[in-house]
Amino acid sequence: MVDNSKVYIIDDAEEVREALALLMESVGIEVELYESAEAFLEGDHRQREGCILLDVRMPGMSGMELQKELNQYPCSPPVIIISGHGDIPMAVQAVQAGAVNFVEKPFNEQALLDSVHRAFKLDAERRGKSMEIESIKRKMASLTPREQEVLKAVTEGKRNKTIAIELNISQSTVEAHRAKVMKKMGAESLSHLMRMVICVENQ
Amino acid sequence: MSRRTAAAPYRRWSGRGGWLRIAVLLLFAPAMVPADEVIRIGVLSHRGDPATATYWADTAAYLSDEIPGRRFEIVPLDFDEVEPAVESRAIHFLLVNPSIYVVMEVRHRVARIATLNRRVGDDFTTLFGSVVFTRADRDDIASFDDLRHKTIMAVDKTSLGGYQMTMYELKSRGMGTWRDGIRIRFGGIHDNVVEAVYNGSVDVGTVRTGILESMDAKGKIDMADFKIINERHDLAFPEKLSTRLYPEWPFSKLNHTPDGLAQAVAIALMQMHQKSGRNDRHDRWSIPLEYQPVHDLLKALHLPPYDHPDTFTLADAINKYWAGVLASLLVFVALMGLTIMVIRLNRALRLSKSRLERQHSLILNSVADGIYGVDLDGNSTFVNKAMEEMTGWKAEEIIGLNHHALIHHTTASGEPFPEAQCPVYKTYADSKKRVVDEDVFWKKDGSSFPVTYVATPLKDERNRTIGSVVVFRDISQQKRLEANARRHQQELAHVTRVSTMGEMASGIAHELNQPLTAISTNALACIRLVDADKINPERIKDILERINNQAQKAGGIIKQLRAFVKKGSPKKKAVDINTVVRDVVVLIEHTFGPNDIELKLALAPDLPAVYAQDILIDQVLVNLIKNSIEAMTVDEKREKSLTIRTEMADAKTILVTVADTGPGIDEEIRSAIFSPYVSDKENGMGLGLSISQRIIAEHGGTLYLDETSASGTTFKFTLPIHRETDHGG
Repeated sequence: MVDNSKVYIIDDAEEVREALALLMESVGIEVELYESAEAFLEGDHRQREGCILLDVRMPGMSGMELQKELNQYPCSPPVIIISGHGDIPMAVQAVQAGAVNFVEKPFNEQALLDSVHRAFKLDAERRGKSMEIESIKRKMASLTPREQEVLKAVTEGKRNKTIAIELNISQSTVEAHRAKVMKKMGAESLSHLMRMVICVENQ
Repeated sequence: MSRRTAAAPYRRWSGRGGWLRIAVLLLFAPAMVPADEVIRIGVLSHRGDPATATYWADTAAYLSDEIPGRRFEIVPLDFDEVEPAVESRAIHFLLVNPSIYVVMEVRHRVARIATLNRRVGDDFTTLFGSVVFTRADRDDIASFDDLRHKTIMAVDKTSLGGYQMTMYELKSRGMGTWRDGIRIRFGGIHDNVVEAVYNGSVDVGTVRTGILESMDAKGKIDMADFKIINERHDLAFPEKLSTRLYPEWPFSKLNHTPDGLAQAVAIALMQMHQKSGRNDRHDRWSIPLEYQPVHDLLKALHLPPYDHPDTFTLADAINKYWAGVLASLLVFVALMGLTIMVIRLNRALRLSKSRLERQHSLILNSVADGIYGVDLDGNSTFVNKAMEEMTGWKAEEIIGLNHHALIHHTTASGEPFPEAQCPVYKTYADSKKRVVDEDVFWKKDGSSFPVTYVATPLKDERNRTIGSVVVFRDISQQKRLEANARRHQQELAHVTRVSTMGEMASGIAHELNQPLTAISTNALACIRLVDADKINPERIKDILERINNQAQKAGGIIKQLRAFVKKGSPKKKAVDINTVVRDVVVLIEHTFGPNDIELKLALAPDLPAVYAQDILIDQVLVNLIKNSIEAMTVDEKREKSLTIRTEMADAKTILVTVADTGPGIDEEIRSAIFSPYVSDKENGMGLGLSISQRIIAEHGGTLYLDETSASGTTFKFTLPIHRETDHGG
């Protein structure tokens, strides 16, 4: 497996925390244990990679509240909700709110471990995708204002002639700006350019 | 009787004037003795004193001349003066009518010495009678028979010729004044009688013979104006006559008059007409006649001295004792009236009594409650119909027997019931009313039924207790209904209990899930480590110990749950409220932590026990606490605390408070929260508070919303402390 990915276990019940830790240890996954949501938030979670095992019911900040908080950070590790028997509606809510999975207590250990691996993979993917967006953004920032206007019009599907009239420049000037944009953005084709812009906009 | 009959004529004949006159005579008598001895002749003055004195004056003078040394005087006497004069010896001789003479003869031994030989025209007669007459123009009166319903005037009751003779004639004819409606009036003297007939103020008159002729001769009347009734011509009597004849007036001597004097007077009288020159005009005297006919008459008329009649008839009695008879009659009538009144009253009383009794028994037998009375011995005195129906005993089977032994001998629990403890017995023992809410009475068939009854002391008119009256009601039906209601409530309570248990079960499951999860996870992890050969026995042992601890914890939770489930006892018993609170708290404690609720217990130590069914009180507490938790968890941000407090409200009541810091109860439903099916929870049945309130009420306490506001809600309930605890301390 990769690198510095860890499982962050947040549960108020010590025996559950420790049992989970033992389970993760048995498959060679590193863990960090937190007895409450607040304790977890105290650390620099932006640097955390891997996934979070989050108990729904806890005194103080509940699992749900923590999840809401984490949603603000796009690169925050995916959350797996662990819930007791009576908390299924809450777990469903949590999944709708962005949790990747939920696991019922007591655990089916294989299912739990599978979930953890899937979450690790998702985390890595998310992490990679976000790096790509960062480079697109950087490339877009290098464009001149005029080039950015042309890029916007192009991605809106407008023809050169229309763009020339709108920007009150000649059609050949439009073509020259367009060629520069393609080059600066490293776009292999118009559709490639379009994908990059949409990717940034959808982010 | 005899005194009265003797006294009656005496009184009748004694008048004030008479006595006075005799007294005067006696006073002056001695003064006259020196000259001549005065001999007084009492003469009946039937025609008035002056006339009498004048008429007999020459007789007295004659006697005075004939008998030397004696001076005779005439003393006129009214009818009622005669006897006193004789009795007092104020006179020596007596010249009265034959009937008075007969009385004096019998009573005072007066003896006749001569009989008047009265001159009638040229004839003389020693006899006389009575004439009954009316006005000549009275065609309606011709005979004695016609006298019926007429008014007759006579001279005097003692007048022989002027009354008694006529009465004798009527009586001889079977007539009577009363029977024939004949009214008698008395004129006092003959002249008045004649005048009354003449002027028509009476129908008929009766006077002695000769009066009419004499008055006619004097020109006072005209004989032609009068008509003689029953005129008798057969007796060859010279005057008009209606009756039989009787000897004329006798001249008699008193008992005290010396015989010699009497003899001298008698001889002088016999010789009077020969010796006096003018004597032809005058009456003469002849030898005394036999006065038997007068006796007969007086006897027949029951007159003195024969007012002691041989045969005493009712008429006589009435006549004689009319006042007494009248009085007796009046008394009798009054008594009769009174008796009738009493009888009527009695009947009315009997009637109203029986009406009252009917009404009384109607009321007694119409009421649905059983009613019976017992006397001081505890024996039944009366029973009503409802009692008969309820107990199966007939009135005649109960009355007179001891009620306690019959219907009250055993308590509801089947133990013998001593009579001394019987409230009915106590009621007449201390005269205090008793109300017994629940007891059992026994039927004739040996079964019992639950009753409620009132025993009231029964008082007599002097306010002494003479027993008691028991009014009872069969409460089987009521008890059945109550039992149904209780069962229904318990079923309802059970339903909510089950639903609460369900909700609690999820909590318990969660609680149980933690150690189970840990156990399973540890075990699985351990297996993996062993498989991978990455673990040493020490580590395995360590893990197994952890697993054991967690299993122990799970077992503890299960033990708790089982204790709670088992605890439910359906009977009321002395319960420590603090224990109940702690048990409930243990049960639902787990919900406090995760929901971030602070639990504050303020349990007063040493509280007396309450008499309660603990599972129901659990239920109430669980309901209240659950409501509070749910209310507080709606808003995550608020400070959450739940306070449960127990304390004494007063000497006999415990107060339990459940207060939360929830957002309060909506004003809209605040007034209806204790009604069933009202809830502010989306999936609540709305039965919790309604059932809780009923449970507390059933325990004799009250559950109420003490206050609710945006900063919290407080419910309180009271429970009476257990009576035995109360008595104990």
